[in-house]
Amino acid sequence: MNPMLLFQLSWRNLWRRRRRNGLLLAAISFAVAGVVVLNSFIRGMQVQMTQTAVNNMNGHVKVLAPGYLDDPGIARSFDLAKDWRPDVLEGIEAEMVAGWASRVRVPAVVMSERETRGVQLVGIDPAAEAISFIGDMAVEGERLSGSEDGRLLVGRALAEQLETAAGRRIVLITQGADGRNREAGYRIAGLYDAEGEGLEKAFLFTGIANVQNLLDASVITELSVRLTEDRHGPNVLSRMIDALTGLDVLTWQDLEPTAAAMHEFVDVAIAMWFLIVMGALAFGLINTLVTAVMERTRELGMLRAVGMRPRAVVVQVVVESMLIMVLGIVIGLALGMLLYLPMASGIDMSAFAAATEEFGFSALMVPKLEAGDIWLVVSLAIVIGLLASVYPAWRSVKITPLEAMRR
Amino acid sequence: MSDLVVSCEGITRVYADDAVPVHALRGVDFEVRRGEWTSLAGPSGSGKSTLLHVIGGLDRPTNGEVNVDGQRLGGLSESQLSDLRLNKIGFVFQAYNLIPVLTAVENVEFIMQLQGVGAAERQTRARATLTRLGLDDIGDRRPGELSGGQQQRVAVARAVVTEPVLLLADEPSANLDSSTTQDLLELLRNVNEQHGVTIVTATHDPMVMDYAQRRVRLRDGAIEHDESSSGA
Ligand SMILES: Nc1ncnc2c1ncn2[C@@H]1O[C@H](COP(=O)(O)OP(=O)(O)OP(=O)(O)O)[C@@H](O)[C@H]1O
Ligand SMILES: [Mg+2]
Repeated sequence: MNPMLLFQLSWRNLWRRRRRNGLLLAAISFAVAGVVVLNSFIRGMQVQMTQTAVNNMNGHVKVLAPGYLDDPGIARSFDLAKDWRPDVLEGIEAEMVAGWASRVRVPAVVMSERETRGVQLVGIDPAAEAISFIGDMAVEGERLSGSEDGRLLVGRALAEQLETAAGRRIVLITQGADGRNREAGYRIAGLYDAEGEGLEKAFLFTGIANVQNLLDASVITELSVRLTEDRHGPNVLSRMIDALTGLDVLTWQDLEPTAAAMHEFVDVAIAMWFLIVMGALAFGLINTLVTAVMERTRELGMLRAVGMRPRAVVVQVVVESMLIMVLGIVIGLALGMLLYLPMASGIDMSAFAAATEEFGFSALMVPKLEAGDIWLVVSLAIVIGLLASVYPAWRSVKITPLEAMRR
Repeated sequence: MSDLVVSCEGITRVYADDAVPVHALRGVDFEVRRGEWTSLAGPSGSGKSTLLHVIGGLDRPTNGEVNVDGQRLGGLSESQLSDLRLNKIGFVFQAYNLIPVLTAVENVEFIMQLQGVGAAERQTRARATLTRLGLDDIGDRRPGELSGGQQQRVAVARAVVTEPVLLLADEPSANLDSSTTQDLLELLRNVNEQHGVTIVTATHDPMVMDYAQRRVRLRDGAIEHDESSSGA
């Protein structure tokens, strides 16, 4: 039968019980808005965790010599052509790659006049480190000027332990490829601040050539490739595995399994959370629809008597359910946007900074609204609207014209 | 085409849902000629409504054959019965005839909408019918804003606008006072005489019976008396 007629009837029927349907609509709208906003926070946290893991000198894909993870040192090193770049590989386009950086990372002992600490000495090309946290960390004093820079960048927390400062000298001891210890003194160019004291205490940075000179080896121990988008990861990974035989090619997920597990958990948690909230709403919807069908028994019976087909009566109930749901979704999304937009540029969480930095989060919480999540909530709501109308619709077809007429 | 709009043979209707079966109709043979207005009379529980429902395809007889406009109802499926009611029969019930969320004119249009008549034609016909029945001033009101008598007259308008073969009315005047009943009956007489609509009413109301050309009296589910007013 005429779909416009069904739509018109359903629409007007909604207005018959303004308060009841209004309350239901409000419940659906708030739930959708709440789901959207809260979800953007969870998503934001997930993105931040991924960023942190990627920034943490991993990149999306990292190349190591076999055995390096178990026994890090200059003995587990490799070499790549000076002009090697990931986008020369077949299947990797330049626009997939944000950047790459080679490093020499070796365990070392650092000594000041007062203290001795175990650290990791990392030789870098400062120009290439835009792809990691090194590129945008705050430095008090001077930054490294290039690969040849022979000075050190020391984490603030480590500097406090060593009771030293920018401009002072400290001594490093590390093992060369030949197994003999090398020792040298270096001047501190500056002190850096990183998210989390763990990083500041763990890493000392200097020019890559400086470390290679110290170790008498013009090799590298790692190469990180950062991609423009997470989704290029699997493709680039497999291309690099094919190209770099004999080396370990790993993802950030391999290197930070806890962060990777959290990342996956978030996806499941979001879906679960949608399902629970929308599922709870379904019962409100079912209740309203059944009540609406029951109180219209005479009317539905009359409609059947004058020749409306049972199917049309069912469709009418379903349309009413969908109307409420779709209205609720639209209002809910608008409300969610209204709440989200002022926060989209981030919320300063520095009040809880101590707690968040402990876990490697930054003090700025940036919620993230993803189109995929909006689709998830919309499609879930529509499916639930359909499911919720099954029982009321079944009740409505059980109404015979006679039953309605005899009351 | 046969001159009989309704012909029933040996109709019985037994309600067996309760412990004691109720014999609402016990072998009714009944015919209605085209253009005739027949009124079913009889005490409460005599089977008037049941017979009307069986004729209208709202209820199926336990035994017997019903033909409406030459079509045997026994062989029809539920949706075929729906279509028959939609296309051939107009109904006026005691109450709750109208859809509360639609205006009078939309209610009159409704059946045409179910039939798939185009919007322009629908509106013209609905307005014309309301005008013809003297109801054009209430066309834009909803049923809740109409008196009982007005609602019943709009129900008649809706029932006749599609020019059905048969108009069935069960206690159409039950909720009306005598002057509004009079109006309603004049209306029914108008559609019966001017437009040749065949009518069957079921009622206790002597006024309704007076208007009909033929009175059929039921008792205990059987026809007791069948009388046509001479010369009507
Ligand atoms: N669904 C049903 N279940 C059981 N018995 C029924 C049912 N419908 C009707 N009856 C019985 O069938 C008999 C005839 O009922 P019907 O409604 O046809 O009488 P009526 O002549 O229209 O009465 P009234 O003048 O009160 O409207 C009654 O005894 C009634 O109780
Ligand atoms: Mg009756």
